[in-house]
Amino acid sequence: MENDEFKLDREIVAATKDVFSSMVMMELEDGVPLTGKGGEFPSNISSMLGLGGGVRGILAIHCPETVAKVITGAFLGMDVEELNNDVKDAIGELTNMVAGNLKIFFANFDIDVKLAIPTTVIGESYRTSGLFGATRIVVPFGCANGTFWIELKYMRSN
Amino acid sequence: MGKNVLLVDDSSTMRKIIGRSLRQAGIEFDNIFEAGDGLEALAILEKEKVDIVLSDINMPNMDGISFLREKSNRDNMKDIPVLMISTETGDDIIGEAKSLGAVGSIKKPFTPDKVNEVLGPLL
Repeated sequence: MENDEFKLDREIVAATKDVFSSMVMMELEDGVPLTGKGGEFPSNISSMLGLGGGVRGILAIHCPETVAKVITGAFLGMDVEELNNDVKDAIGELTNMVAGNLKIFFANFDIDVKLAIPTTVIGESYRTSGLFGATRIVVPFGCANGTFWIELKYMRSN
Repeated sequence: MGKNVLLVDDSSTMRKIIGRSLRQAGIEFDNIFEAGDGLEALAILEKEKVDIVLSDINMPNMDGISFLREKSNRDNMKDIPVLMISTETGDDIIGEAKSLGAVGSIKKPFTPDKVNEVLGPLL
């Protein structure tokens, strides 16, 4: 499965905008997608969710601290001062819902995708890696106070 | 006498969002109980009067399907209705939930209007 075949960058945009407009009351502006290797994102929090079944891979949201706090504040309707458990939980749940929308997209092609429970990490400088040979798509999204990134790495199961 | 609801989701954020959506939808409960997984939900149902359960499916320790199965085996709680709120929408898993007694489902993400549309007739 190649990106061109299913227009997955478009699906990531649609899935993410749907979640943020209905649950966070936040309208997003999508940027130019990055495919292949490379790219560094100034993130302080990343939430990752494993995909299994017909597609193996990982969906992740990478956020700078300021953006994560604003998103969580809008999601929960309260001021957020630090990267605490509320932020970890909120970004994880948003990852879960974006993945849920992508699962529906894959189901349209009779591809049954299983979703794991999200894992969230907080830090100053870290890298994520895994799934050698997978197709990788990264879509930047702009909101009021900065940019966050949605990253999909995937490959078809045999 | 007022009604009580039990929210079952491993995300405390999502439990807050569901509670807020209930209020925004104009649906009031006397008590909102919360559980982080199916095991906690069963423990609450053993000791509290609950009129309806809103439950996620993908959860650690005991997921929503296992919760439904276990609940259906307990005479003191098997008739309490359960509405699934989940990213899961597949006919297979929602069908299994309904076969185990779930009365309906709401897909995440959702709006207060959707919550009112599905939950309102059940109350």
